[in-house]
Amino acid sequence: MSDFEYILRTEKLCKSFGHLEVLTDVDLGVKMGEVICIIGPSGAGKSTYLRSLNQLETITSGKIYIKDELFLHREHNRTIHRIEPDRQKAMLLEMGMVFQSFNLFPHKTVLENVMIAQVLVRKKSSDAARRLAGEIINMVGLSDKLDAYPSKLSGGQQQRVAIARALAMEPELMLFDEPTSALDPELVGEVLAVMKKLASQGITMLVVTHEMGFAREAADRVIFMDQGRIAQQGTPQDIFQNPEGERLQQFLQSIL
Amino acid sequence: MNFLKRIIDVRGWKRASKTAAIVIMAAVALLAALSWVNVSEEEMLQSASEEMQEIIRQEEASSRKYVTVTYNSFGFIKYLSFSTSGAKAVKETYIAFAGQVYPADTGFLKFIGQMVNYTYRMLGSGQNILHGVKLTILLTTLSMVIGSILSIFLALGKISKNKFISKISSAYVFFFRGTPLLIQLFVIYFSVPVIFGFSWRGLFAIGDTEAVYKGAFLAALIAFSLNAAAYCAEIVRAAIQSIDKGQGEAAKALGMTYGQTMRHIIIPQSIRRMIPPLCNEFVMMIKDVSLVFAISLMDITTISKTIMTSEGNYLVFFPALVIYLIITAIFTFLFGKIEKRLSVYE
Repeated sequence: MSDFEYILRTEKLCKSFGHLEVLTDVDLGVKMGEVICIIGPSGAGKSTYLRSLNQLETITSGKIYIKDELFLHREHNRTIHRIEPDRQKAMLLEMGMVFQSFNLFPHKTVLENVMIAQVLVRKKSSDAARRLAGEIINMVGLSDKLDAYPSKLSGGQQQRVAIARALAMEPELMLFDEPTSALDPELVGEVLAVMKKLASQGITMLVVTHEMGFAREAADRVIFMDQGRIAQQGTPQDIFQNPEGERLQQFLQSIL
Repeated sequence: MNFLKRIIDVRGWKRASKTAAIVIMAAVALLAALSWVNVSEEEMLQSASEEMQEIIRQEEASSRKYVTVTYNSFGFIKYLSFSTSGAKAVKETYIAFAGQVYPADTGFLKFIGQMVNYTYRMLGSGQNILHGVKLTILLTTLSMVIGSILSIFLALGKISKNKFISKISSAYVFFFRGTPLLIQLFVIYFSVPVIFGFSWRGLFAIGDTEAVYKGAFLAALIAFSLNAAAYCAEIVRAAIQSIDKGQGEAAKALGMTYGQTMRHIIIPQSIRRMIPPLCNEFVMMIKDVSLVFAISLMDITTISKTIMTSEGNYLVFFPALVIYLIITAIFTFLFGKIEKRLSVYE
């Protein structure tokens, strides 16, 4: 169906802030349609990993492939290879990102939030952008809030708008950076429901989360990160039913 | 602060204070309404005493004029008759109010008459836009508009990652904040033409009687704009940097360029935060503009100083203060409205 094996792959990805090494040799490949959950204690580098993928952080060394094509190769804080700038932007658009703190644009209405990047970046007509935005907002169940400002929405509704905003760019891969961590417990469910819906529609997702229930239910693969490394990975069953390794067992015990 | 709050909270006032306030406001409204009832110019000119009318009649026959009559639309009229030796012989002053003409040569009415006359002159009535209050408002508004547009670029320059651009912008701000505005004005009005070999007056058509004022106005506008840009740059920079970092990250993750992010996301949000300090800056600028007295532009301050020297009346500054207060109050009110309008999404 597709002419590439991995939509996204990293090889020996390392990132340090000064002397503090946050990520060490992270190798991971994401296949089309896969839902991967990354779990692990805080400070394990999960968010940093996600942020280095779409260039919000610059990696120290390692290789990032997008659709099996070398996107960025750095060694010792030097860029060895970077894809040409005009294709770089198009490739980064293959990734949509949802942030822990929503980061909706507060001066734009829900509809405008979902439309603006389509018009500015994808150069769509505002009619076409409005049509797609309407569909997606409907899909996340907020079609009655089109003209509301984000400040008038609950946290869960805001995060659903943020998901819609990322989806409107029609990315091949969605990155979720702890999408429910900033929410009140009773609002978590509505966001997870939307994410499960996406998972069932076959959208490729990379989710950093503390919601073990979601990971168990929706993930094809669960990755346990600890101290900047991938400590363990496997199917939800492997990880949750028969956890191996002391750190993973400790972590699961503390969180469940 | 609590004291001020109690005053502002009208609902908490005592009944007597409320009544008093209403009576005072009604009185002011009534007086204001009455002051609109004007006497025609002819009626006013007929108000002179028998003696003065006799002098005026005699003059119509002779070719030499010894009487000067000043009249203004605020209902202030003044007759001055000189003897042949040039000394003041007969002087009469009247005020028209609510359709009646009152003599105003002595006492309270004299004081009121003078103040009305001074106010009228400071407002620059009957003069073109480069006089009095009109000049102050025009110069302040234009300087602030040009200054704040420049300041956006300066602020972006200051936070730029490009070392050269950020150094240049910082140096600009340092220079204009570190030197007196009056000297900046002198440099632009006096020194710059010498260095570049032109004259401000010469920029306008020869024979234009207002060329001096226009030239000085242009020089003042440049000086105040450059200065305002430096002060506003700090305001703009602080406002931009106060926007949550996540906003820029979200825009970047959606593929927006730096320019798009600034134009559509960061600057629109920071504008609302700039309004209160910009209002402050605006109010400062209204008063700074009085420095144009040094390059002989006729703003409120220059006019009141002129009146003091020519008429020897040291009370002339009080109407000037009131005028400044009213201008400031109006602009503060307007900025408050703008801020409210920009806050719809919060």
